[in-house]
Amino acid sequence: MRIDARNLLDRLGKNDFAYKEFEDRFSELELWPILEALLRDPRLQAIDQSEATVAAKPEPAPAEVVETYSGESLSSLFSRYGNGPAASIPADRRGGAQQQDVRAMLRHLSDLGSQGKI
Amino acid sequence: MPVIVTHGLKGGAGTTFIAAHIAMALSEAGADVTVLTTTQRDTMPLHFGLQPAMSLPSLFAPAEDAVLAAGIDLRSLTTAPEDNDFVPALRDLGFLETGQDKVMVIDVPASEFAFARRVVPHASANVCVINAAPDTLALMPQVLDEASPENIASTSFVINALDETRRLSRHSSAFIRELVGARLLGRVRLDESVPEAIAMLQPLGKYAPSSAALADVKMIGTALVPALETPGRPWVARGSNPAASSHSSSSPSRAA
Repeated sequence: MRIDARNLLDRLGKNDFAYKEFEDRFSELELWPILEALLRDPRLQAIDQSEATVAAKPEPAPAEVVETYSGESLSSLFSRYGNGPAASIPADRRGGAQQQDVRAMLRHLSDLGSQGKI
Repeated sequence: MPVIVTHGLKGGAGTTFIAAHIAMALSEAGADVTVLTTTQRDTMPLHFGLQPAMSLPSLFAPAEDAVLAAGIDLRSLTTAPEDNDFVPALRDLGFLETGQDKVMVIDVPASEFAFARRVVPHASANVCVINAAPDTLALMPQVLDEASPENIASTSFVINALDETRRLSRHSSAFIRELVGARLLGRVRLDESVPEAIAMLQPLGKYAPSSAALADVKMIGTALVPALETPGRPWVARGSNPAASSHSSSSPSRAA
């Protein structure tokens, strides 16, 4: 640790410091053109299809990691573009507000940004 | 005797750094770990605080030639990517069979993707190291298209050198997390103490024990411990761990 950082921490009475926390849920990220292009690339779905391969294999030994992930599959992301392969998402999967179209949501966020509300 | 493969999507992702620290974490968990580098341009010794002129002994060199660092046996086999007998040789050495007393971490250069495809089916875990950067993301469709469903299924991912202060990095990280889901073992924050430790010829744990990157990569190594329970067949991360989140109120501090 640099001496100036060490001095700052000493003055603050802390041993360490952390950066500001950043929200980065997928539903809140800006859809950069490259991300949009990738979402439209059917080859990315291979990672979803491999889940069937995983499911077909014998269950490995219990992992110590905790099952906390609740994100949706890539195919369901495609579906939010209107003609994806997984058009039927369970209504209660992510809650009503997150069922909306990604584009509409981003437009809404963009509008709020331009209005200085976010 | 499980084998763990680390492989980057493209060069410069920090695969060797991740491989070294996975080995350290597994060693701290009690495993007898051998690290095998398969590239001629090898930086592995630097992550153990060794001199840059250090060249590692062959996998087949006698025990008296071994280079041990932090209790880990460091080996090299630059012919492995072209050697079709590499996997049988591993089997002859006692790896790929049942038992958890010995673990091999194989660091595969990004350019040797054909070699990785050959070895991964025999590994207990395949750790793909990626950066949250648009050029890396752009390669994902091609890589997934070329890989077999079995290899994709047995692959876990690590985001390395993540700069959470940059918007595009955060967005790219979120995209990766959404794409690979539970198979994201975690992320390692960008931390200047990593190259500084190399420059000081010290292991990161000694140079900067409070390093954010060190805390992150330790969590990733610990998350891989269950893979040791499945020698000879792929272990797949089925849940995310706290390190997979790019924000946490209890996140370790970042070294300045």
